[in-house]
Parts: sequence; C-alpha cells; structure tokens
Amino acid sequence: MLTVRKLNAGYGKLQVLYDLSIEVPAKGLTVVVGPNGAGKTTLLCSIMNIAKVFSGEILFEGNSLIGELTHNLAQKGIAYVPQMGNVFAGLSVMDNLHMAGYMLSKAEADAKAEQMTEIFPVLKKFIHRSAGTLSGGERRMLAIAMGLMKNPKLMLLDELSTDLAPIIAERVMMEVARMRDELGITILMVEQMAKRALEIGDTAYLLVSGQVKYSGQANSLLHEPELCSMYLGIKQLPGQGETKLSVAEEGSEGN
Amino acid sequence: MPPWMSSGLIYASGLALTAGSITLLYIATRTFNFAVASMATIGFYTVYTGVALYGGLPYQYFPLALLVGAITGVICYYGLNRPLLRRQAAEITLMMSTLGYDLVLLSLIQMYADFLTNTYKLFPRRVTMSLYDFELFGDRAAAFILPVIAIGILMILHIFLTKTKFGVAMRATIENPVLAGASGINSDRVYLVSWIISGGMAALGGAFMAMAMTGTPVMGMYTIPLMFAGAILGGLGSIYGGILGGFVIGLTEYAGVFLLSQKFGAWVLGYRMGIPLFIMAATLLIFPRGLSGIPLFKILKSLAGGSLGGEKRGVSA
Repeated sequence: MLTVRKLNAGYGKLQVLYDLSIEVPAKGLTVVVGPNGAGKTTLLCSIMNIAKVFSGEILFEGNSLIGELTHNLAQKGIAYVPQMGNVFAGLSVMDNLHMAGYMLSKAEADAKAEQMTEIFPVLKKFIHRSAGTLSGGERRMLAIAMGLMKNPKLMLLDELSTDLAPIIAERVMMEVARMRDELGITILMVEQMAKRALEIGDTAYLLVSGQVKYSGQANSLLHEPELCSMYLGIKQLPGQGETKLSVAEEGSEGN
Repeated sequence: MPPWMSSGLIYASGLALTAGSITLLYIATRTFNFAVASMATIGFYTVYTGVALYGGLPYQYFPLALLVGAITGVICYYGLNRPLLRRQAAEITLMMSTLGYDLVLLSLIQMYADFLTNTYKLFPRRVTMSLYDFELFGDRAAAFILPVIAIGILMILHIFLTKTKFGVAMRATIENPVLAGASGINSDRVYLVSWIISGGMAALGGAFMAMAMTGTPVMGMYTIPLMFAGAILGGLGSIYGGILGGFVIGLTEYAGVFLLSQKFGAWVLGYRMGIPLFIMAATLLIFPRGLSGIPLFKILKSLAGGSLGGEKRGVSA
C-alpha cells in the first residue's frame, strides 16, 4: 500500500534519513523501532510532507506523495497521529472529532463521532469538555479516534505510548491491534515501547542513524539478541529464549 | 453625556477593532501587522470619499470600508505574507514586510489625497468627519451607534469562531497548524480568511476613529502605537482580549486627558498618548498576560463566595 524508496529527507539543510526504503503491506501493522534520533518521526513527517524530502520516492497506492500538500493527504485516506500535540487542546472533544472529520459532511461527521464514542466509551463522558483537560491516556484515545474519523486506509501512528503509564500504554496497544484486526486498517506505527510493538506487529523495521538496520517479520526481530540489546534496550533472559523490557527502553523518546 | 465620554466611546470603538485586527492576525499567522495603520486610514478615506462625493451619512459607507479593507488584506496576504509563510520566514521578517507594505499604502494614500484635491477640489488632508454625523438623544449619534456596531462585530466574530465549521477550523489551525493540516483543513484558506477579517476590521476601525479625531493621511501612523498597546494589553493571545484592550486604551486616553487637564492644566494634552501607555505598562506589571490573563471568573466566583459566606455567617449569627 505504501512504498518508500531510497528516501533522503530532513529539516532545512539537516539530513536525517539516508537512502531509506520500506514497504507497508495492506491491512498489516508495520512497526518502525529504533533508538533516539534514528529518524523514526522524520519518516512519518516526510510521508506527510512536513519534513523536507531531498530525493527518493514515496508511493501510496502507486501514486507519488512527494510535494502533495498535507491537507490533501487526509483526503487521500492517510491519517496521521503525531506524538505530541495530537489533539486540539482548546477545543471540546466533540469539536476535535468534527475537525478530524473535516472533509466529511455534517451528517457523516455526526454519525462517525457517535461511532467513535462507542469504540472509545471514555470519550463519551467528556464529549463537551475541553480536550486540554483530559488525562494523557484519554488524550491518546481521542487522538486515535480522530485518526479513525477520516475513514483512513492508512494510519501513521507516532509513539502513541510516550509518557503513558504502562497499563494505559498496554490498552492503547490493544486498540491499535484491534484497528488492524477488526477494522482492517493498514497501520505504520513508530514506537518506543519496542517489545510490545514487535509482539503485535506483522512487519518491522529497525532504524539506526537514518538507515534501515533490520527489516523482516516483527517477532523475528525479538530473536536478534544483538540488535535488541544494542538498539532497543531489550535484553534476553539467559536460558529462556524470552525477552524482557529494560529500563532504558521506557526512557527512550522519538526524534 | 460629557464630550470626553462621547468622543472617548467613538474613538475607543475604533481602536478596539484595530487592536482586535492586530491580535487576530498575530495568533493566526504570527505576523505583527504594521500595515494596520494605513489600512485604518484607507477605511477613513473610503467613508470620506462616499460622503464628500455622493452625500449621505458616514454609516452608509461602513460596509464599503469593510470591503476595501478586506481587499487590502488579501493583497498583502498573496503578495507578501503567503510567500514568506511558505518559506517559514521568521516573525521579524513577517513584521518588517508589513512595514514595507504600510509605506507603500501610505504613499498611495498621499497620492489619493492629492487626487481628491486636484480633481474634486476637496480638502482631504484635514477632515472633521463628525460634521457629517447627526444628533441622537441630544448627543452625537456615533457615540451610541459605533459602540453598538463594535459589540455586534465582536458577537458575530464569536459566533463565527465557535458555531461555524470554518470558524472552529480557524481556531484549530491557529492552535496546531500541523494537526489541522493532517485533519484535512486547508491552512492556506484559514490564513486568507484571517487577512480578510483583519483587513476589514482595521479599515472599519479607522473609519470609526475618524469620527472622533481629525482625519489625515497620517492618522494611522499617529495612532498605531495605541493600536498595538491595545493588542498587547489584551494579551496578544485572544481576539476578545485584543478588542477589550483597544477599548480600554481608547477610553482611558480621553478620560485621562480630561481628568488630568482639569487638575493640572491644558499642558497635559501634549502627553495624551502617555496616559494609556502608562495604564498598559501598569496593567502588564500586575497581569503579565494582559487582560485575557486576568482570572475574571475566579475573581467573580471568590467575590460571590465571599458574599455568600457573609450571608451565611449573618444567618447563623
């Protein structure tokens, strides 16, 4: 569904991604993991035409996205949930949902917002409250709901678990898996909670210094002890063949 | 009402619109619009041209002033602001570009004043617009009509920003342009509408102010410090705050001059601009976020709570 080929991108004159190529298969959950400063967020920003693309190709359903204005991408069926600033804090929850479905008609947006409050019941309680007053987890649920408002074919999720308590982060991850399994949405997820993301993901890419260090099945990356330990802070338990989450992983952030 | 109050209300209504115009544009596009000075003057000349050449009351030509101001805003947006915003220009560059635009407009205004003099034998360089006003309740009609129009515009703006889809989209874009773009909102259109509203408000504000002061080609240049003072007093983060700030600055200028000249003599008139600027500085020292940063509801609540508490105590006693 989404193909990125030999992408060189960054901000201003600063290059962050180098000849990066990834493939996002339809109806799958593709996970991008990597240490701080690897260029994970820049990859999503390049797709959304927020970062500067120096060269390379970004194809969505066979059509190039390079130079496409950000607001047109939403109309093409691409939803982007940024890591920070992913809700309009000054607007009510209802207005946030309506803004997320900006290109829908009033009746469609109302119906879709109603559907979102059924999928995320927590939002129903606060529907007329300002989004700025929601807790971190509630905000993240609202951000995902806003992404879903657009009836997207492809969702780009940027570090959804950042700053969330582990139990809330786990709930958010479950929602992501549910979107793929029940709604059939193609997802490209950048994640710092690498272990959990790799467990639920189908395909994975490990990004290091703007380049792909690993590509393949998500679960298989967990069986690469050297890569996991060096770049993701995941250490294998001796003799068990299982992995455990290290403190380093929890503290990592995207760029 | 006393003359200082009627003139003060007229002037303050105009200043409120220009300060609101500056604030709206700043929060929408990060641009401090210096061209608001000439936009206000253009509003005055639009109304003056109407009454001087075609007769009638100044109020009839206010919609035209609004339109001409909006067009001036559109030209500035497409000619300067949009290309600079696309290049992610710094705030200082955006601001200086509007200063350049203001100088161009000022030259055009001077040429237009000469054109009116030479072609129609008018005296457009010192105009007393109040001569074209009529009397209402024994006072100048503008003292009643203009504050009502200013409040009406504020209400329309409020309804537009909170009840319409595009208005809410404007607020969303102002708060988070990246997320708004990702939501499918065309930020380009939001910025354009901001310039249209802002240009219209500035021109109408100038037309209002000329009903209280002498209309000249440089009236905008003369009053721009107070327009900005109003916007800053309002806190720069809220359009309503900007409008309120402009109103307070305008009214305190007239009230302050009247009260102080009564006490200290006519020499105070020379320092009339200093009075509202002093009030602005004093307010910002106490409330650094301006008028919009004053926790009004909290104060009212505590006052209400205090009086309720008093009553309760009274009952128990």
